[in-house]
Amino acid sequence: MSEVVEEHPSLIPVINRFGIRLGLGDKSVKAVCAEHQLDTDFVLTVINTFLNDEYFPERKLQTFHTSQIIDYLTKTNQYYLRFQLPNIERHLNSFISMSTPDNHTLALIGKFFSTFKEELTARIEADGKVWFPYCLSLSEQLTACPASGEELHLGSEAHEEDTIEALLFDLKSIMIKHLSGEYNENLCYAVIFAISSLEKDIKQHNRIRYRILTPMVAAMEKLRK
Amino acid sequence: MKRRIAIILSDTLQRTGLHYLLSVCFHPAEITCFPAFETFPADNNDTFDYYFITSDTFALNTDYFLSRRNKTVVLVQHNLPADGNSAGVNHLYICSPQETILEQLQQLFAGENANSTAGEDSKGLSARETDVLRLIVTGITNKEIADKLNISLNTVLTHRKNITSKLGIKTVSGLTVYAIMNGIY
Repeated sequence: MSEVVEEHPSLIPVINRFGIRLGLGDKSVKAVCAEHQLDTDFVLTVINTFLNDEYFPERKLQTFHTSQIIDYLTKTNQYYLRFQLPNIERHLNSFISMSTPDNHTLALIGKFFSTFKEELTARIEADGKVWFPYCLSLSEQLTACPASGEELHLGSEAHEEDTIEALLFDLKSIMIKHLSGEYNENLCYAVIFAISSLEKDIKQHNRIRYRILTPMVAAMEKLRK
Repeated sequence: MKRRIAIILSDTLQRTGLHYLLSVCFHPAEITCFPAFETFPADNNDTFDYYFITSDTFALNTDYFLSRRNKTVVLVQHNLPADGNSAGVNHLYICSPQETILEQLQQLFAGENANSTAGEDSKGLSARETDVLRLIVTGITNKEIADKLNISLNTVLTHRKNITSKLGIKTVSGLTVYAIMNGIY
């Protein structure tokens, strides 16, 4: 396992989400998973989809249990809230304050980031309060007593174009294409780097969300009827 | 500007290989693959900048591809295609080494810049696009924008599409930031 992580340090937050911490030694993926009571197959699938944009085994992912998928998505959400958002914010704040004070475009970028942060925070909140509990209760009902309970329709869940992704894309694009005036290069790069890594992570999250969880829920709703 | 490329090849390996080369070496490109001409939306006129096809597809749909001959690339096995019909069409010799193929593709795409210098000033928005942008950021709907400017809804949508591709910004909040930064709003 350490070999993979050495090659792709961007996996570190991903394995952390599974409770795997560094100090991996020479243990194999299987051994590490056994130690943490994890489903090796699930961990490997997530790692592979994360590393390879082309690889996305929809059928295979859909065979995992709803709770596994939700658990993973919840952990990615927590990671965004607790680490990535504050991280970007920290870089962004010093970027804005260390650059020339009268560059008003930077303040605008800061404001734009706040819009994005609000959107993402609101989605995460709705996930935890409404969407994920609903998915879980559906899967529990199906195992206990099929055909009961009211239905929740989250039309917005079928979004083709994800607003969160679009906002992040724009944030990066505005900085890369339309930045003007004096600014601190080094801090600017730090901000863009942090945004990019969040962007990559959210893309993976959304793939699982829209292409795995949403169809799974739709199938369960159908089954219940 | 992104090149929009259609690959219409029945050979899965050829299709995948070409897709790979184009996406890796000629970024950015929007590549769509079709296993047969029948599955290709031919009536959807000119949504593509380039078509990669076999000589069979060319022969069966000469009308379609002859009128787009400068955008069409026919994949052929060997040098000197025997078929005189396809004169004036670009050929790609698929048995050549990868390097040669990449060079051929590069030449093909290089030709496009030479005769479309008009695309160069595309960074700036046209006066009309600026009008549309100014209205977008007020938060009104496309329909309302159309009414205010006395243009059709479709025209508004086209302007929006062009604004987004010129600026690389999709969301209303992003466009607002751009507009304020550039004193449009």
